[in-house]
Amino acid sequence: MMERTSPRPSLLEKGRRWFEERLDVEGLVNLALHVEIPEGVRTYFLGGMTLFFLGVQVITGILLALYYRPSSESAYESILYIMNNVRFGWLIRSIHAWSANLMIIACLLHMLRIYLQGAYKKPREVTWLVGIVLLLITLGFGFTGYLLPWDQRAFWATTVGTEIAGAVPVVGDPLLRFLRAGSDVSGLTLSRFYGIHTLVLPATVILFVGIHLLLIHEQGLAARPGTSAGDEEMEEG
Amino acid sequence: MLSTMNSEPNTTNPRRTLIKWLLSFSIIATLGGVLTPIIGYLWPPATKSTGQGSRVRVASLADLQVAGGLVVPVEDRPVVLTVSANNEVNAFSAICTHLGCVCKWESAGRYIQCPCHDGRFNAQTGAVISGPPPSPLPRYNVVIEDEDIFVIL
Repeated sequence: MMERTSPRPSLLEKGRRWFEERLDVEGLVNLALHVEIPEGVRTYFLGGMTLFFLGVQVITGILLALYYRPSSESAYESILYIMNNVRFGWLIRSIHAWSANLMIIACLLHMLRIYLQGAYKKPREVTWLVGIVLLLITLGFGFTGYLLPWDQRAFWATTVGTEIAGAVPVVGDPLLRFLRAGSDVSGLTLSRFYGIHTLVLPATVILFVGIHLLLIHEQGLAARPGTSAGDEEMEEG
Repeated sequence: MLSTMNSEPNTTNPRRTLIKWLLSFSIIATLGGVLTPIIGYLWPPATKSTGQGSRVRVASLADLQVAGGLVVPVEDRPVVLTVSANNEVNAFSAICTHLGCVCKWESAGRYIQCPCHDGRFNAQTGAVISGPPPSPLPRYNVVIEDEDIFVIL
Protein backbone atom coordinates (compact mmCIF):
# COMPACT_ATOMS: atom_id res chain seq x y z
CA MET A 1 0.00 0.00 0.00
CA MET A 2 1.77 3.09 -1.22
CA GLU A 3 -0.62 5.80 -0.05
CA ARG A 4 0.81 8.95 1.48
CA THR A 5 -0.57 9.54 4.93
CA SER A 6 0.86 13.02 5.43
CA PRO A 7 2.45 15.72 3.26
CA ARG A 8 6.05 15.07 4.44
CA PRO A 9 7.01 11.55 5.57
CA SER A 10 8.86 11.64 8.88
CA LEU A 11 12.13 9.81 9.43
CA LEU A 12 10.22 7.08 11.21
CA GLU A 13 7.82 6.74 8.30
CA LYS A 14 10.67 6.61 5.80
CA GLY A 15 12.34 3.87 7.83
CA ARG A 16 9.14 1.87 8.03
CA ARG A 17 8.65 2.13 4.25
CA TRP A 18 12.22 0.99 3.57
CA PHE A 19 11.51 -2.29 5.33
CA GLU A 20 7.96 -2.65 4.02
CA GLU A 21 9.13 -2.39 0.40
CA ARG A 22 11.49 -5.32 0.96
CA LEU A 23 9.94 -7.58 3.59
CA ASP A 24 6.29 -8.14 4.35
CA VAL A 25 6.56 -6.48 7.76
CA GLU A 26 2.87 -5.71 7.98
CA GLY A 27 1.98 -9.30 7.16
CA LEU A 28 4.42 -10.62 9.72
CA VAL A 29 3.12 -8.32 12.44
CA ASN A 30 -0.41 -9.31 11.53
CA LEU A 31 0.38 -12.99 11.79
CA ALA A 32 2.14 -12.61 15.11
CA LEU A 33 -0.06 -10.12 16.92
CA HIS A 34 -3.50 -9.85 15.38
CA VAL A 35 -5.83 -12.49 16.65
CA GLU A 36 -9.58 -12.31 16.46
CA ILE A 37 -11.07 -12.23 19.94
CA PRO A 38 -14.43 -13.98 20.38
CA GLU A 39 -17.23 -11.94 21.89
CA GLY A 40 -17.83 -11.74 25.63
CA VAL A 41 -14.46 -13.12 26.76
CA ARG A 42 -13.06 -12.19 30.15
CA THR A 43 -10.32 -14.73 30.98
CA TYR A 44 -8.50 -15.09 27.70
CA PHE A 45 -5.44 -13.16 28.85
CA LEU A 46 -4.02 -15.89 31.09
CA GLY A 47 -2.01 -17.61 28.37
CA GLY A 48 -0.51 -14.31 27.30
CA MET A 49 0.27 -13.53 30.92
CA THR A 50 2.18 -16.80 31.20
CA LEU A 51 4.15 -15.85 28.12
CA PHE A 52 4.80 -12.41 29.58
CA PHE A 53 6.21 -13.93 32.76
CA LEU A 54 8.37 -16.20 30.63
CA GLY A 55 9.74 -13.10 28.93
CA VAL A 56 10.47 -11.53 32.31
CA GLN A 57 12.25 -14.71 33.39
CA VAL A 58 14.36 -14.79 30.24
CA ILE A 59 15.52 -11.22 30.70
CA THR A 60 16.14 -11.37 34.45
CA GLY A 61 17.65 -14.83 34.02
CA ILE A 62 20.16 -13.59 31.47
CA LEU A 63 21.09 -10.71 33.75
CA LEU A 64 21.57 -13.03 36.71
CA ALA A 65 23.70 -15.37 34.61
CA LEU A 66 26.14 -12.52 34.03
CA TYR A 67 27.05 -12.50 37.73
CA TYR A 68 26.11 -15.95 39.01
CA ARG A 69 28.95 -18.42 39.47
CA PRO A 70 27.71 -22.02 39.04
CA SER A 71 30.20 -23.94 41.18
CA SER A 72 29.56 -25.33 44.64
CA GLU A 73 32.33 -23.15 46.07
CA SER A 74 31.09 -19.83 44.75
CA ALA A 75 27.37 -20.16 43.97
CA TYR A 76 26.00 -18.95 47.32
CA GLU A 77 28.59 -16.18 47.52
CA SER A 78 27.73 -14.98 44.04
CA ILE A 79 24.09 -14.66 45.05
CA LEU A 80 25.10 -12.57 48.07
CA TYR A 81 27.22 -10.46 45.75
CA ILE A 82 24.27 -9.92 43.43
CA MET A 83 21.99 -9.02 46.33
CA ASN A 84 24.39 -6.69 48.15
CA ASN A 85 26.93 -5.31 45.71
CA VAL A 86 25.51 -5.25 42.21
CA ARG A 87 23.37 -2.18 41.47
CA PHE A 88 19.71 -3.25 41.38
CA GLY A 89 20.91 -6.83 41.89
CA TRP A 90 18.39 -7.27 44.69
CA LEU A 91 15.65 -6.14 42.29
CA ILE A 92 16.61 -8.43 39.42
CA ARG A 93 17.02 -11.46 41.68
CA SER A 94 13.79 -10.80 43.53
CA ILE A 95 11.84 -10.29 40.31
CA HIS A 96 13.23 -13.57 39.01
CA ALA A 97 12.16 -15.44 42.14
CA TRP A 98 8.69 -13.93 42.31
CA SER A 99 8.02 -14.13 38.60
CA ALA A 100 8.86 -17.83 38.68
CA ASN A 101 5.97 -18.42 41.05
CA LEU A 102 3.65 -16.08 39.17
CA MET A 103 4.38 -17.84 35.90
CA ILE A 104 3.39 -21.20 37.35
CA ILE A 105 0.22 -19.73 38.83
CA ALA A 106 -0.70 -18.07 35.53
CA CYS A 107 0.03 -21.32 33.69
CA LEU A 108 -2.27 -23.30 35.99
CA LEU A 109 -5.05 -20.72 35.80
CA HIS A 110 -4.73 -20.74 32.03
CA MET A 111 -5.02 -24.52 31.97
CA LEU A 112 -7.99 -24.35 34.31
CA ARG A 113 -9.77 -21.89 32.05
CA ILE A 114 -9.08 -24.01 28.97
CA TYR A 115 -10.39 -27.07 30.73
CA LEU A 116 -13.52 -25.46 32.17
CA GLN A 117 -14.42 -23.93 28.82
CA GLY A 118 -13.68 -27.09 26.85
CA ALA A 119 -11.25 -25.28 24.59
CA TYR A 120 -9.11 -28.43 24.45
CA LYS A 121 -11.73 -30.31 22.43
CA LYS A 122 -11.55 -31.05 18.72
CA PRO A 123 -9.80 -29.58 16.76
CA ARG A 124 -7.54 -28.28 19.57
CA GLU A 125 -6.31 -31.53 21.12
CA VAL A 126 -2.71 -31.11 19.90
CA THR A 127 -2.61 -27.60 21.28
CA TRP A 128 -3.64 -28.99 24.65
CA LEU A 129 -0.98 -31.69 24.58
CA VAL A 130 1.70 -29.16 23.66
CA GLY A 131 0.40 -27.14 26.58
CA ILE A 132 0.92 -30.09 28.92
CA VAL A 133 4.50 -30.32 27.70
CA LEU A 134 4.87 -26.60 28.40
CA LEU A 135 3.60 -27.13 31.94
CA LEU A 136 6.20 -29.84 32.52
CA ILE A 137 8.92 -27.60 31.10
CA THR A 138 7.82 -24.78 33.39
CA LEU A 139 7.93 -27.05 36.43
CA GLY A 140 11.33 -28.26 35.26
CA PHE A 141 12.54 -24.67 35.18
CA GLY A 142 11.28 -24.23 38.72
CA PHE A 143 12.86 -27.40 40.02
CA THR A 144 16.27 -26.87 38.44
CA GLY A 145 16.36 -23.19 39.28
CA TYR A 146 15.53 -23.84 42.91
CA LEU A 147 18.88 -25.55 43.48
CA LEU A 148 21.00 -22.72 42.12
CA PRO A 149 21.29 -20.57 45.27
CA TRP A 150 22.98 -23.64 46.81
CA ASP A 151 21.73 -22.93 50.32
CA GLN A 152 20.23 -25.38 52.82
CA ARG A 153 16.71 -25.03 51.46
CA ALA A 154 17.90 -25.58 47.88
CA PHE A 155 20.01 -28.59 48.80
CA TRP A 156 17.38 -30.40 50.83
CA ALA A 157 14.51 -29.60 48.49
CA THR A 158 16.53 -31.11 45.65
CA THR A 159 17.40 -34.11 47.78
CA VAL A 160 13.73 -34.71 48.54
CA GLY A 161 12.62 -34.05 44.97
CA THR A 162 15.11 -36.42 43.43
CA GLU A 163 14.32 -38.98 46.12
CA ILE A 164 10.70 -38.85 44.98
CA ALA A 165 11.87 -39.41 41.41
CA GLY A 166 13.80 -42.39 42.72
CA ALA A 167 10.59 -43.92 44.08
CA VAL A 168 9.23 -44.49 40.58
CA PRO A 169 9.16 -48.25 39.94
CA VAL A 170 11.67 -49.77 37.53
CA VAL A 171 13.30 -46.58 36.27
CA GLY A 172 13.47 -44.84 39.66
CA ASP A 173 17.06 -45.61 40.62
CA PRO A 174 18.68 -44.79 37.27
CA LEU A 175 16.49 -41.69 37.07
CA LEU A 176 17.69 -40.55 40.47
CA ARG A 177 21.32 -41.08 39.52
CA PHE A 178 20.79 -39.31 36.22
CA LEU A 179 19.24 -36.26 37.85
CA ARG A 180 21.78 -36.02 40.66
CA ALA A 181 24.75 -36.76 38.39
CA GLY A 182 25.74 -39.28 41.06
CA SER A 183 24.28 -40.90 44.13
CA ASP A 184 24.04 -37.69 46.18
CA VAL A 185 23.30 -34.06 45.49
CA SER A 186 26.71 -32.49 44.90
CA GLY A 187 28.54 -29.87 42.86
CA LEU A 188 27.97 -32.15 39.89
CA THR A 189 24.24 -31.87 40.44
CA LEU A 190 24.57 -28.10 40.55
CA SER A 191 26.37 -28.02 37.22
CA ARG A 192 23.88 -30.36 35.64
CA PHE A 193 20.89 -28.37 36.87
CA TYR A 194 22.49 -25.10 35.79
CA GLY A 195 23.03 -26.45 32.28
CA ILE A 196 19.46 -27.71 32.12
CA HIS A 197 18.05 -24.48 33.53
CA THR A 198 19.95 -22.10 31.23
CA LEU A 199 20.48 -24.12 28.04
CA VAL A 200 18.33 -27.22 27.65
CA LEU A 201 15.02 -25.90 28.92
CA PRO A 202 15.21 -22.48 27.23
CA ALA A 203 15.80 -24.12 23.85
CA THR A 204 12.95 -26.56 24.51
CA VAL A 205 10.50 -23.97 25.74
CA ILE A 206 11.10 -21.72 22.74
CA LEU A 207 10.39 -24.62 20.44
CA PHE A 208 7.17 -25.65 22.16
CA VAL A 209 5.87 -22.13 22.74
CA GLY A 210 6.42 -21.52 19.05
CA ILE A 211 4.36 -24.58 18.15
CA HIS A 212 1.69 -23.68 20.69
CA LEU A 213 1.30 -20.15 19.31
CA LEU A 214 1.37 -21.32 15.69
CA LEU A 215 -1.46 -23.76 16.34
CA ILE A 216 -3.52 -21.17 18.21
CA HIS A 217 -3.12 -18.56 15.52
CA GLU A 218 -3.88 -21.06 12.81
CA GLN A 219 -7.07 -22.34 14.42
CA GLY A 220 -8.24 -19.14 16.07
CA LEU A 221 -9.43 -18.80 19.65
CA ALA A 222 -12.24 -21.07 20.78
CA ALA A 223 -15.42 -19.11 21.31
CA ARG A 224 -16.69 -18.74 24.84
CA PRO A 225 -19.37 -21.31 25.69
CA GLY A 226 -22.67 -19.70 26.47
CA THR A 227 -22.36 -17.11 23.72
CA SER A 228 -23.97 -17.49 20.32
CA ALA A 229 -20.61 -18.05 18.68
CA GLY A 230 -19.85 -20.63 21.34
CA ASP A 231 -23.03 -22.54 20.63
CA GLU A 232 -22.16 -22.58 16.93
CA GLU A 233 -18.75 -23.95 17.69
CA MET A 234 -20.18 -26.68 19.88
CA GLU A 235 -22.38 -27.84 17.06
CA GLU A 236 -19.48 -27.96 14.62
CA GLY A 237 -17.43 -30.10 17.00
CA MET B 1 -19.67 17.25 10.78
CA LEU B 2 -18.92 13.64 11.66
CA SER B 3 -17.19 13.00 8.35
CA THR B 4 -14.86 15.97 8.63
CA MET B 5 -13.86 15.13 12.18
CA ASN B 6 -12.88 11.55 11.36
CA SER B 7 -11.26 11.82 7.95
CA GLU B 8 -9.48 15.19 8.10
CA PRO B 9 -5.91 14.49 9.26
CA ASN B 10 -4.90 18.14 9.45
CA THR B 11 -7.28 19.50 12.13
CA THR B 12 -5.70 19.58 15.57
CA ASN B 13 -7.96 18.05 18.16
CA PRO B 14 -6.87 19.22 21.61
CA ARG B 15 -8.32 16.18 23.37
CA ARG B 16 -6.58 13.79 21.01
CA THR B 17 -3.32 15.69 21.39
CA LEU B 18 -3.57 15.48 25.17
CA ILE B 19 -4.28 11.76 25.09
CA LYS B 20 -1.35 11.22 22.72
CA TRP B 21 0.97 13.14 25.02
CA LEU B 22 -0.18 11.30 28.12
CA LEU B 23 0.18 7.93 26.41
CA SER B 24 3.62 8.73 24.99
CA PHE B 25 4.81 9.95 28.36
CA SER B 26 3.53 6.80 30.08
CA ILE B 27 5.21 4.52 27.58
CA ILE B 28 8.51 6.38 27.72
CA ALA B 29 8.41 6.55 31.52
CA THR B 30 7.76 2.82 31.74
CA LEU B 31 10.56 2.09 29.29
CA GLY B 32 12.86 4.30 31.34
CA GLY B 33 11.81 2.51 34.49
CA VAL B 34 12.61 -0.86 32.96
CA LEU B 35 15.88 0.14 31.30
CA THR B 36 17.36 2.04 34.26
CA PRO B 37 17.72 -1.03 36.53
CA ILE B 38 18.91 -3.18 33.63
CA ILE B 39 21.64 -0.79 32.57
CA GLY B 40 22.59 0.03 36.16
CA TYR B 41 22.80 -3.70 36.91
CA LEU B 42 25.10 -4.33 33.94
CA TRP B 43 27.59 -1.65 35.00
CA PRO B 44 30.12 -3.51 37.20
CA PRO B 45 30.16 -2.50 40.88
CA ALA B 46 33.26 -0.86 42.31
CA THR B 47 35.79 -3.27 43.80
CA LYS B 48 36.45 -2.38 47.39
CA SER B 49 39.95 -2.61 48.91
CA THR B 50 40.44 -3.67 52.52
CA GLY B 51 40.43 -0.02 53.51
CA GLN B 52 42.83 2.85 53.08
CA GLY B 53 46.14 2.75 54.90
CA SER B 54 46.12 -0.96 55.58
CA ARG B 55 49.39 -2.72 55.14
CA VAL B 56 50.36 -6.18 54.04
CA ARG B 57 53.58 -7.99 54.90
CA VAL B 58 55.07 -9.12 51.62
CA ALA B 59 58.62 -10.35 52.18
CA SER B 60 61.63 -10.36 54.47
CA LEU B 61 64.40 -7.83 53.92
CA ALA B 62 66.94 -10.61 53.68
CA ASP B 63 65.11 -12.37 50.84
CA LEU B 64 64.86 -9.14 48.91
CA GLN B 65 68.50 -8.30 49.39
CA VAL B 66 69.53 -11.69 48.05
CA ALA B 67 67.37 -11.39 44.94
CA GLY B 68 67.69 -7.66 44.30
CA GLY B 69 64.08 -7.62 43.19
CA LEU B 70 60.91 -9.65 43.87
CA VAL B 71 57.42 -9.77 42.43
CA VAL B 72 54.90 -10.50 45.19
CA PRO B 73 51.09 -10.76 45.28
CA VAL B 74 49.34 -8.15 47.42
CA GLU B 75 45.62 -8.96 47.73
CA ASP B 76 44.82 -9.61 44.06
CA ARG B 77 47.48 -7.37 42.52
CA PRO B 78 51.13 -8.02 41.61
CA VAL B 79 53.71 -5.72 43.24
CA VAL B 80 57.42 -5.57 42.39
CA LEU B 81 59.88 -4.85 45.23
CA THR B 82 63.39 -3.61 44.59
CA VAL B 83 66.28 -2.79 46.89
CA SER B 84 69.08 -0.37 46.06
CA ALA B 85 72.80 -0.53 46.96
CA ASN B 86 72.18 1.57 50.08
CA ASN B 87 69.27 -0.66 51.18
CA GLU B 88 66.44 1.55 50.04
CA VAL B 89 63.35 -0.54 49.38
CA ASN B 90 60.98 0.55 46.63
CA ALA B 91 57.65 -0.96 45.66
CA PHE B 92 55.77 -0.47 42.41
CA SER B 93 52.71 -1.95 40.75
CA ALA B 94 54.00 -4.76 38.55
CA ILE B 95 51.26 -4.15 35.99
CA CYS B 96 52.96 -2.80 32.87
CA THR B 97 51.56 0.56 31.86
CA HIS B 98 51.70 -0.47 28.20
CA LEU B 99 49.07 -3.22 27.92
CA GLY B 100 48.74 -4.72 31.37
CA CYS B 101 51.12 -7.67 31.42
CA VAL B 102 52.81 -8.56 34.72
CA CYS B 103 56.43 -7.36 34.89
CA LYS B 104 59.35 -9.36 36.21
CA TRP B 105 62.64 -8.57 37.90
CA GLU B 106 65.52 -8.70 35.48
CA SER B 107 68.40 -9.56 37.88
CA ALA B 108 71.19 -9.48 35.30
CA GLY B 109 70.45 -5.98 34.07
CA ARG B 110 68.96 -4.85 37.42
CA TYR B 111 65.80 -3.35 35.99
CA ILE B 112 62.09 -4.20 35.96
CA GLN B 113 61.12 -5.75 32.66
CA CYS B 114 57.82 -6.50 30.95
CA PRO B 115 58.07 -9.80 29.05
CA CYS B 116 55.37 -8.93 26.54
CA HIS B 117 57.07 -6.15 24.56
CA ASP B 118 60.37 -5.63 26.43
CA GLY B 119 59.31 -2.50 28.25
CA ARG B 120 61.91 -1.63 30.89
CA PHE B 121 61.50 0.36 34.09
CA ASN B 122 64.04 1.90 36.46
CA ALA B 123 64.33 -0.16 39.64
CA GLN B 124 64.51 2.85 41.97
CA THR B 125 62.07 5.29 40.36
CA GLY B 126 59.80 3.12 38.23
CA ALA B 127 60.45 5.43 35.29
CA VAL B 128 60.44 4.02 31.77
CA ILE B 129 63.96 3.20 30.52
CA SER B 130 62.99 1.88 27.09
CA GLY B 131 60.20 0.21 25.17
CA PRO B 132 56.54 1.00 24.53
CA PRO B 133 55.22 1.79 28.05
CA PRO B 134 53.82 5.32 28.04
CA SER B 135 54.18 6.11 31.75
CA PRO B 136 56.11 5.03 34.84
CA LEU B 137 54.97 2.25 37.19
CA PRO B 138 52.85 3.63 40.05
CA ARG B 139 54.66 3.57 43.38
CA TYR B 140 53.47 1.95 46.60
CA ASN B 141 54.66 3.18 49.98
CA VAL B 142 56.75 0.78 51.99
CA VAL B 143 57.41 0.40 55.71
CA ILE B 144 60.19 -1.74 57.13
CA GLU B 145 59.89 -3.10 60.64
CA ASP B 146 62.72 -5.29 61.91
CA GLU B 147 63.32 -7.61 59.01
CA ASP B 148 59.83 -7.40 57.51
CA ILE B 149 58.77 -5.36 54.52
CA PHE B 150 55.19 -4.02 54.50
CA VAL B 151 53.44 -2.57 51.46
CA ILE B 152 50.86 0.11 52.28
CA LEU B 153 47.67 0.01 50.19
